[in-house]
Amino acid sequence: MTELLVQQSVNWITLGSIYALLAIGFSLIFGVLNVIHFSHGDVAMTAPFIALAAAQALATVFGAAAPIWLVLAVLGAVLCVGLIGVALDKAIIRRFRDAPAMMALVATVALGIVIRELIRHLYPQGSNPHAFPRLVSGVAFEITGVPVSWFALTVVGLTVLLVALLFVFLHKTPLGLRIRAASEDRIVARMMGISDGRVFRATFLVASAIGAIAGLLFASYAGVTRFDFGVMAGLLGFSAAVIGGLGSMPGAIVGGLIIAGIEVLAQTFVPEGASYRLVFVFMLVIVVLIFRPAGLLGRTIMEKV
Amino acid sequence: MGGSASPAAPGATSAVATSILLQLGGAALLYAILKAEQGWQVLTLLGLLGFGFYLLERFPWLSDFATESLARVPVVTAATAAVIVLGFPFVVGSNTYILHLLIVAQLYAVLALALNFQLGSANIPNFATGASYGIGAYVSALLALNFGVSFWLTLPIAALAATLFGFIIGIPSMRTRDTYLALVTIAFGVVVHQLLNNFDWTGGPNGLVGIPAPSLFGHSFADPLNVFGWKLPSQANFYYLAAALVVLAIVTANRLHNSRIGLAWNALRADEIAAKAQGINVAWYKVLAFAVDAFLAAFAGTIYAFYVSYISPDNFTFLVSVTIMTMVIVGGMDNIFGVIVGAFLLTILPEKLRAFSDYRLLFFGIVIILFLMIRPQGLFPQRLRQYGGRK
Amino acid sequence: MSALLEVENVTMRFGGLVAVDDISFSLDRGTVLAVIGPNGAGKSTLFNVITGVYTPTAGRVKFDGADITGTPSYEVVQRGIARTFQSSRLFSDLSVLDNVIIGMHTRTKAGVLDVLFRPGIARREMAACVEKAEALLRASSGDLYEQRYRPAGTLAQADRRRLEIARALASQPKLILLDEPSAGMDDAETDALVADIMRLRTEHPELSVILIEHDMRVVQAFPERVMCIDYGRRIAEGSFEAVRSNPRVQEAYLGAAAAHA
Repeated sequence: MTELLVQQSVNWITLGSIYALLAIGFSLIFGVLNVIHFSHGDVAMTAPFIALAAAQALATVFGAAAPIWLVLAVLGAVLCVGLIGVALDKAIIRRFRDAPAMMALVATVALGIVIRELIRHLYPQGSNPHAFPRLVSGVAFEITGVPVSWFALTVVGLTVLLVALLFVFLHKTPLGLRIRAASEDRIVARMMGISDGRVFRATFLVASAIGAIAGLLFASYAGVTRFDFGVMAGLLGFSAAVIGGLGSMPGAIVGGLIIAGIEVLAQTFVPEGASYRLVFVFMLVIVVLIFRPAGLLGRTIMEKV
Repeated sequence: MGGSASPAAPGATSAVATSILLQLGGAALLYAILKAEQGWQVLTLLGLLGFGFYLLERFPWLSDFATESLARVPVVTAATAAVIVLGFPFVVGSNTYILHLLIVAQLYAVLALALNFQLGSANIPNFATGASYGIGAYVSALLALNFGVSFWLTLPIAALAATLFGFIIGIPSMRTRDTYLALVTIAFGVVVHQLLNNFDWTGGPNGLVGIPAPSLFGHSFADPLNVFGWKLPSQANFYYLAAALVVLAIVTANRLHNSRIGLAWNALRADEIAAKAQGINVAWYKVLAFAVDAFLAAFAGTIYAFYVSYISPDNFTFLVSVTIMTMVIVGGMDNIFGVIVGAFLLTILPEKLRAFSDYRLLFFGIVIILFLMIRPQGLFPQRLRQYGGRK
Repeated sequence: MSALLEVENVTMRFGGLVAVDDISFSLDRGTVLAVIGPNGAGKSTLFNVITGVYTPTAGRVKFDGADITGTPSYEVVQRGIARTFQSSRLFSDLSVLDNVIIGMHTRTKAGVLDVLFRPGIARREMAACVEKAEALLRASSGDLYEQRYRPAGTLAQADRRRLEIARALASQPKLILLDEPSAGMDDAETDALVADIMRLRTEHPELSVILIEHDMRVVQAFPERVMCIDYGRRIAEGSFEAVRSNPRVQEAYLGAAAAHA
């Protein structure tokens, strides 16, 4: 019994970290833009494809398939996706910043569809799932006979590192300060000379890069990647961000852990729970939104009447 | 530049002529598109359509004249429309493929009209219309397959079931807004889809087969239709059924739009707080929008189930909801005519441009984004209520 | 005869901020009360409490014999209180006429079932609304009436105010709350506004009015009863002259030095 508990706890924290990273991206963008970037999940899940393509290209060019290519490919993918995020903002999302929320929403849902279809058409055999290697293999140690993999440790460690870096960035650097100011009140921030453009570019770069890392870890965890993983990743990440409270970084982490928790619980205790996990997750989302419409740690914005 | 210098109102004769010619012309164009085989033919007709639209934009008095003509002689307009709708299958003859397209287009028109109450009139995002559609289909199919209930009886029962579902989704809508609400509706849609997929009694991923064809006064809908010596394929039965539903949907939409309910929806779309300050119970009207949408969608779902006699959860996914949403956005938010045009366009065109069928979703996505960026009010923007007065 | 509106020890707190601090007053039928005070003093918040937008942290609001504390705003309208907003909240993409008809929402009855299954009755009710709305617009201003089919968002400022008032009147209220109706108006428009309000009182003698104002030209026109609020607290009440010469009021507006100048 304890083994089951330990095993599932490890799963929980691993998965929770991945979801938390996804949720952070959503919250960061929402906080600054007040726009829900529905296609963030899809943008994030382009990373595994880019990494695979890059790794193959490097291997072809340099002849040998060495792990170094994979590492380079992964780093390249993260950077690439970060830039893709910025480009998408400039081309499309920016135009909906001041539009009614509904429009931005539908537009980004459509954008997600476009991204998925582009992956499907541009990547060879895009409709099929593609194997994605575990980036780190091997067992690190055991707790009561349950193996804890290096992968799990990497995921958690990476998440903690990223969260810490993000915190330092947002609270200790001038650019981070500007992002937080714009997040509080965009109009006042603009009046104080904080350049809209730079803030949004930085936000999208950071959020998309973190999302890319989450996407790569997700593909690694699952062992495969598919063009429509972005839907699930997006829905789960968005739900985590919403449950925690859009715009709140700690909320994103809490939300990610909660969602992962439900998934793991459902899988363990409900027969054939795996196929029902989404149902449980979303039922929780609905319940949370009924009782705390702004999420658990979110701030309710009072409209001036 | 004050209000438009209104041109002379159309006289009775010119109104009659315009009304008849306009409707016949539209029907002819539709027929041409349906018959067109080659891609280039379709594109040419599309170009024609686009040109016509450009003219309407450039010379707004054209569309004013057209609408006023149609409104001036309501009896002639209605009669022409009836003749066209009733007579279309005779012109189409035994081309069952075209009939099939028309049936599907009509069903989607109903779905789009249903969504229009929420999206167009009240600006409430609803990504779960596909789920209501599916609930209608499944409830009626299950009743027919397991209990031998006749099609006509399953209609109201399925509609009530879906309306209940609509009320349930509506509950979170009372307290949440915009993006959060959208997420709730997406969540509901996914939950319904997953449940349909996983339960045994709904047939699981394989769905339900062998749904019996309805029958009316002893005439089974699976049999060809004999009218005045003409023999129409069995699809014609469903064509008329769907057409009847479209008429019902239009009447419902019209009555609601022109009533204090339609006004209340528009008010809460514009400004919730101000709407409350006029005494509008915003929460109730939001829930009502969900319920009405579900009600109509269920009707469409029931007809669909009995038409194709086989349904599976994959017919009612999130993407179906997105498709319906595209129809409303492209056709024209809160514009009954526009929404129907949107439905027809987005059902027929992807079928006709078959070469690009694999790119259909990509096309939809790009179209939505372009429309929202360039023409967010849709092809036919909402019209202000006239109350019998002149601008 | 009891007062129409009774506000008893109403306090409104937002976290640590006390927006309205223990305010009490009562209002009789057919009277005008002008509420003045510096920006941010809590005047609009008071309106919001009375009309049910906020539930007060403490205190009660009684209207026409009933306790309406915490009643949701749409129900408050049903009972007979109408209001306008500081930043005009018209339904911009709907026509002027539609805006007024929406104002009649509480005095009409057609529900979903009526609209769908008894369309004749619903339509007749709507036609009656249209007539009444047109009468209201005509009474407000010929100009506004002429523009009744235009979207409300295209109106000039003065017409917007008139429309807001017409919309508020459409619900046949017993009490109307006007939140800074003269904002953004020049002198001529302000005088027209004053004339409008006076005409209102003549046409509806039982109607009570509470007026939030910054423009003393307007307040001067209704000098019988003025209340000054500062930092959420009532600091003076009485006739216009009395309140104007009250040193605490002067201090609130102009600062301590000016008050003793």
